[in-house]
Amino acid sequence: MRRVKAFVLIVLCVLLASLAAPAQKKKSGAAKEAAPKVVVEPIDTDKLKDILTQQRQRPLLVNFWATFCDPCRDEFPDLVKIDKEYRPQSLEFVTVSLDDFTDIKTTVPEFLVAMKATMPAYLLNVPDPEPAIDAVDPRWRGDLPATYLYNEKGEMVYRHIGRVDPAELRKEIEKLVKKGDGQSGRR
Amino acid sequence: MKTRNLSILLALVFVIAGVAFANEVPTPPAIGSTIEDFTLPDVNGGDRSLKSLAGKNGTVLLFIAVQCPVSNAYNERMEQLAQDYKAKGIAVIGINANAAEDADAVKSHAAEHKLSFPILKDPGNKIADKLGASVTPEAYFLDAKNKLVYHGRIDNSRNAAQVESSDLRNALDAALGGKPVEKTEARAFGCSIKRG
Repeated sequence: MRRVKAFVLIVLCVLLASLAAPAQKKKSGAAKEAAPKVVVEPIDTDKLKDILTQQRQRPLLVNFWATFCDPCRDEFPDLVKIDKEYRPQSLEFVTVSLDDFTDIKTTVPEFLVAMKATMPAYLLNVPDPEPAIDAVDPRWRGDLPATYLYNEKGEMVYRHIGRVDPAELRKEIEKLVKKGDGQSGRR
Repeated sequence: MKTRNLSILLALVFVIAGVAFANEVPTPPAIGSTIEDFTLPDVNGGDRSLKSLAGKNGTVLLFIAVQCPVSNAYNERMEQLAQDYKAKGIAVIGINANAAEDADAVKSHAAEHKLSFPILKDPGNKIADKLGASVTPEAYFLDAKNKLVYHGRIDNSRNAAQVESSDLRNALDAALGGKPVEKTEARAFGCSIKRG
């Protein structure tokens, strides 16, 4: 009789385990789907100007890009690494996409998710991009990618049109984040 | 002495290499400059000169692409422009300077999108460099004497429904009407030309 009881117990355990396993699998699958959510905010010329020129406690890196721009896509993994490396050292980093506004909920966030990019992301939503380009840099002809670095006073200290050289960009960032014994503007 | 000469030579090599690898696109010619005649192959491989294709009242050079979504958003507008101004003596010439897009790709793309104006290939982006073209689409309007009258975008928006400023058409209409062109430059926006 004891043997029968033990057998029934083992069968029950196996059944329970087999029922629990798919549930666990389903749960981890759902968590995987929900984890990386990226929201791309629309930005107009005035808001862009505010971001670039405001006095802040930290240096600011801004990358202008678009999903249709091959060198932009190529350099993005380097920019994500730079963000992860220097954000704890007081660097602010925002990206501004010049994609079509209809891409704000599709191709743009999809690309950012694929890149595991977590920096604040904007998409330029203006009827005419020229005033925005002028506001950033009158010398910039609007070609992408374009990367700008500003110090904590809001002054542009570095610009690069075309695919960035990560070593060169790091060197420029180091000059700013190390200012004031590396304590400048730490939260 | 030999060492000194070698050092000077090496320094020169580095200076030249630095210039060659500089990332900036050459500066475009100033408005009013005369654009010299040039010859480029068309999509069938035959040589075509600017002079042979120019309109009697002027010529629009459009740097365009096969794969750029911004350039492609302008396909219909570019074709309409070519049709509208043909009768007014202004010729439209497309130039593809993207290294990765060969003549066959350009030809199929033109057929697919019903682009009837001639499209030339710019191998080694020599003309793109000469004109300082950086993106697609980017327009240059030359008058009957090949003087640069307007340089820049076709209009303000890649979305045809949101066009508020038809800069290229405004320049063409002013020139055809014998009036001064008010806006001679407006930044072109699009995909960077993939130089070879």
